[in-house]
Amino acid sequence: MTGLRLIVVEDESLVALMMEDMLADLGCQVVGSFGGLAAAFAWLEGGAEPPDGAILDVNLGGEMVFPLAQALSERQVPFAFATGYGAISDERFAAAPLMRKPVSEADLLQALQRFRAAALSLPPGGR
Amino acid sequence: MSSAAAPLAAPGSDPLFTLVETIEELSAARTVEEVAAVVRSAARRISGADGIAFVLRDDDMCWYLDEDAIGPLWKGRRFPLTACISGWAMLNRQTVVAPDIYQDPRIPHDAYRPTFVKSLVMTPVRPHDPLAAIGAYWAVERTPTEDEIIKLQVMARATATALENARMYASLNETLARRKFLLRELDHRCKNMLASVHSIADQTLRKSATPRDFVEAFTGRLGAMSRAHELLTRGEWGRAALLEVLSAALEPFGGIDGRRIRADGPAVALSPETAVAFHMTVHELAVNAVRHGALAGESGTVEIEWSVDMAQPRRALAFGWRERGGRPPASDPQRKGFGLRLLEGGLARDLGGEARLLFDPRGVEFSLEAPLSDRIALA
Repeated sequence: MTGLRLIVVEDESLVALMMEDMLADLGCQVVGSFGGLAAAFAWLEGGAEPPDGAILDVNLGGEMVFPLAQALSERQVPFAFATGYGAISDERFAAAPLMRKPVSEADLLQALQRFRAAALSLPPGGR
Repeated sequence: MSSAAAPLAAPGSDPLFTLVETIEELSAARTVEEVAAVVRSAARRISGADGIAFVLRDDDMCWYLDEDAIGPLWKGRRFPLTACISGWAMLNRQTVVAPDIYQDPRIPHDAYRPTFVKSLVMTPVRPHDPLAAIGAYWAVERTPTEDEIIKLQVMARATATALENARMYASLNETLARRKFLLRELDHRCKNMLASVHSIADQTLRKSATPRDFVEAFTGRLGAMSRAHELLTRGEWGRAALLEVLSAALEPFGGIDGRRIRADGPAVALSPETAVAFHMTVHELAVNAVRHGALAGESGTVEIEWSVDMAQPRRALAFGWRERGGRPPASDPQRKGFGLRLLEGGLARDLGGEARLLFDPRGVEFSLEAPLSDRIALA
């Protein structure tokens, strides 16, 4: 998974720290780590190069991550949800990959493989 | 077949039957609106009046909740108890009978001139402590029969029970909803806490040279988390005061004693999540101070200060931790451990602010600047 550029959106900084470490251990580069929608949108819309994938906590201190998931979809950025809850409540994303918290390395690897596959299937010139 | 000749009147035409039916309907009503709907239609049928108003007491106001009449009355309006006849009936706990309202000085005639009303009966609901009133109005001057007055009073009694039921139902539903909410919250927090403990274990293990190191650091961090939660449980998972959080976090390190550890700042309230994050941050600072900083020797001090600059358009909390008089700190470590990363990235990240850790030769300094929000507010 070396070289994948990823963002992490997670409101609990302790959990985010661990996710960042797990991703770094797997050879990924965490280019952004955000605790809420506002910070993530500011980064995404601030002209940063779109990442190769995103790990999204579903409930960010009461606000749902779905608007960001939608914005990522529009930019063809693949993502995976990480949640302590059951199924995804927003049916637009019912089919999106879902990782249970605490996230296991096996689940994370599977998500990263999808990100890699999506990156390879992009037309020359990228997103 | 005339109704007078019938041995049993058809349901709906016999006034007694109507009254019984109404009492049944009232006992099945579950909301104040349902009660009002029953009263409105039934009271008119039972009394034969040209109009009915159902008036709720709302502190020192009469609230004309609902009406059914041949012309508009005062539906939806509120008047002071002392300025209308329903208020008089409730305040004096008596039924008012006015065969000619314009001869009755208790009645505010101006309010009645635009209406059809010429005579009325107004009876309080639950006479010992009225919570509503039922008004029956006629378009002609007339003295109501004893029978009409009694029927209205019977209805008022049934209405009192129905209103009390409706209120009990509402409070029961509220309690149930609150319980459901709390269970969901608890579930969410449990999962978050387990995830946090998982993270702490993972992080602590990464930087521990020996199992003993791991146990010591891990136990300390787990203890800090547990004390943070204790504080929150005591406050029923509402907001926690920053000073309280600091006191709890520093207690294992000698506490805020005003000598070695001083803390000063305005009252600031933290959301539960932020309180835990603050607690963990201060714990890491204190552990570091005891190991390598101002609290390692006998003479060092820690000065904690915070303020909110009211002049700024975007109000922010400025929080500072300053160590003095201890050993000079080691320079900025190359390999950042969990504590350092938490200090630099934890709270600030959560709050959308900025944190700086400075290894000043005079002592470690930590500063955090975070905009006020629903997570962090002046109390």
